[in-house]
Amino acid sequence: MLRRDSFSAVQWLLLAIFTVYCLLPLWWVVTTMFKDNGQLFSTFGLWFSSPSHFSDNLNALFTRDSGIFSRWLLNSVIYAGATALGSMMVSAMAGYAFSKFDFAGKRAIFTTILATIMVPSTALALPIFLLMQKTGLLNTYWAVILPGLVNPFGLYLMRLFWDAGFPKELMEAARIDGAREGTIFWNLGMPLVRGGLVTVGLFAFVGAWNNFFLPLVVVNRSELFPLTLGLSVWNQTSASSGREPIYTVIVLGSLISILPLVIAFLSLGRYWQGGLASGAVKG
Amino acid sequence: MTALTQVQAAAPRPKSRRAGRATPWFFLAPFLVAFVAFFVAPVGYAIYLSLFIKKRSGFGPAREVFGGLANYVRAFQDSDFLQSLAHILIFGLLQIPLMLILATALALVLDAVKGSASRFFRTAFYLPYTVPSVIAGLLWGYLYSKNLSPFNQITGLQTDFLSSQIVLASIGNIITWTWTGYNMITLYAALQNVPTDIYEAARIDGASNWQLTRYVKLPLLRPTLTLTAIFSIIGTMQIFSEPFVLRPLGYVPDNITPNTYLYLTVARDGNFGYGAALAVLLAVFTLLMSGFFLRYAAGEGDS
Repeated sequence: MLRRDSFSAVQWLLLAIFTVYCLLPLWWVVTTMFKDNGQLFSTFGLWFSSPSHFSDNLNALFTRDSGIFSRWLLNSVIYAGATALGSMMVSAMAGYAFSKFDFAGKRAIFTTILATIMVPSTALALPIFLLMQKTGLLNTYWAVILPGLVNPFGLYLMRLFWDAGFPKELMEAARIDGAREGTIFWNLGMPLVRGGLVTVGLFAFVGAWNNFFLPLVVVNRSELFPLTLGLSVWNQTSASSGREPIYTVIVLGSLISILPLVIAFLSLGRYWQGGLASGAVKG
Repeated sequence: MTALTQVQAAAPRPKSRRAGRATPWFFLAPFLVAFVAFFVAPVGYAIYLSLFIKKRSGFGPAREVFGGLANYVRAFQDSDFLQSLAHILIFGLLQIPLMLILATALALVLDAVKGSASRFFRTAFYLPYTVPSVIAGLLWGYLYSKNLSPFNQITGLQTDFLSSQIVLASIGNIITWTWTGYNMITLYAALQNVPTDIYEAARIDGASNWQLTRYVKLPLLRPTLTLTAIFSIIGTMQIFSEPFVLRPLGYVPDNITPNTYLYLTVARDGNFGYGAALAVLLAVFTLLMSGFFLRYAAGEGDS
């Protein structure tokens, strides 16, 4: 039989090892962004080396290919921001309909939408590409933003928040006072489900920011690339084009592409944990 | 599911407004329009497209002609495709249980840690999830590179993590690094939602730590574990970004996953009919895997 304090030591060891495992690659990023390619290969990977080449890397990052990196950064903000806002609005409205109204086929529609979570989104990318080719959406911002508005998890979450946060008695009282349906939804209801909106927006933002396959398929002009696609293309050409490799520049670019999400999660921590918890009780 | 609304049946008063029959549809419209345009239509189109084959007659350009199930027959004879399915099956059978066991262990341990230490660990474990999969692939790709890997620097070995024999395991490590913390937080949140009087009751009955974990906490985690397993299965069937960005850095076969094979085949041949058939098969396999797992998980629960 294990004694309590010895078991505790094993527990702490598990936590410590896993912490190192999680943080070590990120630590490597931090030390590497100060190096040039020579130092990358000749010095120990997990420690700094001098002289620092941080400013050279930063300079190269924002000037390479006529400064296209800033454009990618902007694109990622646009894609993720628009997807998040749109997804919040669309999910809030649909969740409201499912939470507060009865209509024909309600249960069947809800179940169908939730079941689509099981269809791999990558299986949709090819037909979406062909349909967009026919409709002229290819190589536009819309091509990356619009498919992200279909967010079954967001719909599910918003329905939960409407169920719990906006009593029907309040709706009835407003109707008796002569309020319009739109006013009841927007002015009365929406402030009460703010927590749900932030959670849905946060998850949609992260999903869109991380998205790679959809932009890879639906945009092929580099001015429209998000960060993920741009850095991947740089990585590909850096390895094969015969130009001097720019590994440390790509590493710095990677760090910059991670930072917004880290900040979002650290500042909005209670919302994502709430979102995961409601995902957890679903089963 | 929650009780359906019955409020509309309440007696109307003279001056009050009532929601019309069209009102719910107004709120549903944006979602449904997007759903039809970017889910129903693509799925339908993929199925339609998968029935057409490319045919070449003489020296003329290839034409698309109706081929029935020819593309599906071809897929089942395509050893590269079948191999990609085998890869992902082996991957899923090893990586998913390993990741979920680790996530469960960490969640159970963290459940006993209080205060700022718990906060620190949760943040550290969750950080990898905030790294986009492409970026994770890139970073690990460099860490795997024979000439600059810190692991090789420390051990003095010359391991090539991107050689064909172990590249699948190397990808597994990237996925484990990214998703273990995410799954752990989900499981942790489920544990935190359990009312503490359940634990107190078990304690009063004289349950040890181990008994509490084995007979109270683990059964309570069951639905959440089922959910995380399903999402892991779906995610595994879709793996693309990590192997895709590793390709320029090492030896990664085109058919390392079904998705890379699908993409690279279509990009190379421009055969959309065959690509669509592969996409449909991939979706069907994902549904089968999830369904199989659900039945297995549910069946075991009954005994």
